[in-house]
Amino acid sequence: MFLALRELRRTWRRFVLVGLVVLLVATLSTVLTGLANGLVTDGISGLRSLPLTHLAFAPHADATFSRSTLDRKALDEWRQEPGAESTPIGVSFVNAASESGGPSIDLALFGIDVDSFLYSEAHQGSSSGSTDGERLNGLVLSHELEEDGVEIGDRYRIDGTGTSLPVIGFTFGGTYGHVPIAYTDLSIWQQALYGDDAKGRFSAIALRLPPGFDVAAADRRAGTETLTKEEAYSGSPGFSAETATMTLIRAFLLVISALIVGAFFTVLTVQRTRQIGLLKAMGASSSYVLRDGIGQITAVVVLSTAAGALTGAAIIALLSRGDVPIELSLPGVLSSAGLLVATGIIGSLFAFRRITRVEPAIALGVEQ
Amino acid sequence: MSAVGEPAAPPLGLRDLTVAVPDGDRTRTLLDRVSFDVAAGEILVVTGGSGSGKSTLLAAAGLLRRPDSGEVLINGAPTSSLSERRRTSLRRRDIAIVYQAANLLPALTAIEQLEIIGHINREKRSEARLRAESLLVEVGLGERLHQLPGKMSGGERQRVGIARALMAGPSVLLADEPTASLDKGLSTQISELIAVQTERRGLATIIVSHDETPLSHAHRHLHLAGGRLDEVELAARPLS
Repeated sequence: MFLALRELRRTWRRFVLVGLVVLLVATLSTVLTGLANGLVTDGISGLRSLPLTHLAFAPHADATFSRSTLDRKALDEWRQEPGAESTPIGVSFVNAASESGGPSIDLALFGIDVDSFLYSEAHQGSSSGSTDGERLNGLVLSHELEEDGVEIGDRYRIDGTGTSLPVIGFTFGGTYGHVPIAYTDLSIWQQALYGDDAKGRFSAIALRLPPGFDVAAADRRAGTETLTKEEAYSGSPGFSAETATMTLIRAFLLVISALIVGAFFTVLTVQRTRQIGLLKAMGASSSYVLRDGIGQITAVVVLSTAAGALTGAAIIALLSRGDVPIELSLPGVLSSAGLLVATGIIGSLFAFRRITRVEPAIALGVEQ
Repeated sequence: MSAVGEPAAPPLGLRDLTVAVPDGDRTRTLLDRVSFDVAAGEILVVTGGSGSGKSTLLAAAGLLRRPDSGEVLINGAPTSSLSERRRTSLRRRDIAIVYQAANLLPALTAIEQLEIIGHINREKRSEARLRAESLLVEVGLGERLHQLPGKMSGGERQRVGIARALMAGPSVLLADEPTASLDKGLSTQISELIAVQTERRGLATIIVSHDETPLSHAHRHLHLAGGRLDEVELAARPLS
């Protein structure tokens, strides 16, 4: 790095362009990481905030509530499992029409039992007198609907069922599949979905399991397919598509960055052919010249990426004050920056094949 | 190593060195079975017209390119069968080159141009710095240690080039038109500097030149034409 560091210090202008490009790519990559995190977090925030560790679905439901229907038998089996806390949960997407003439709203309707451990989440922030001790007599809505002008006491008719429910409170429930969550009593949810033919059916069983619990054995007994809460995120509508899209965009950015860095250092290597020949004529081995060059590239890419990641983090911090679903995650930013540095260096390696081919005789202007 | 009683091998020897390059459909012979030795403390000046193969001769003698046939002996040891790694190692230790336009690295100061040789040779930084400083003082650049090449005159750049060539303590010094880009006064100074260092350090020096300034310090003069070397008579200038 003897020559590399001095060149960076004294001829820094020639590195400004590539540094700026890498900085912009790093900024974009960081903001995209923030957007991916924000979108994913927004889409699963409702599920994430629930105080459960696992969810038991019907077999082959693929973590999707709409594909899963369980009944009392499965729940009874789970209730016999020592150390396990279990409660039924119903999840469906509905449209609710305002009875006072306001706009209708889409809701992810979560039906829960009032005496369950899930109720603490629904109860948080809800108005007093919202239950009769046994039932959640209405809708506890996600707080963002309150910011949209919905008030306690407003009544909504669940589309297609004729069920009319009052808003009885608000909670920081978040969204599921980017649709605001509404908690209601499981019996109301069953009435809304199945009418009088519910037969005790629900979507899944919310579980709180101690560490080391034998999930597979319990699944065999209950005829369910249990996933951790994190595994169940993949069933959130749009989760896989959003994650795949963002990953693809970031992969393209990484490839573009590698090509830009590779192209820049190829040009730089061609410009330096005589200098490389001179170093070799002075007795420097190809590996000495390579180490010097790779060290120089690494320094440029690391500094530019760090500056880009900081700029991206600042943009995320600014945007997160508004309505954009964006979230700053340190591991996300670090992994994104790390990948960018790695691909930049890999890209530059293509240029360095030329270094090993430079003959020392070129220092004397003699072609082989 | 020479046996007791045997004379030491000359630092540089060329045996039947032949180099040909493609020239359209044919090949052109730049060096045709060239042979000579250069003794320690001796200055050999090679003259020749443009394109006569003077630089090719230096490239082959300096192990920068392999000849098509023949042998280069460094301190009596043949080099043609050596690996590239060993040839690089020999270049690092035994052979130094002074270039036409100094060929300095633009991002390094005068002292760093020498220190990088120490760095390539994995020499201790502080020792390399001390030696670099003393060499630059010796060539008259004690006040210009931290100057970048862009701020130096042609003569100063060439002095740095000479000091850099001496940094690794070589036994062979090859100079490629060292005075070509300098005026008459500076050319004389640079030729003199090379002559002084050759004598002081016992170097085997080849200077290729198309002007006659270095001839005043030469012990031998060879003229290169058509790939062949002819010895030109010089006024006697015995080796000290």
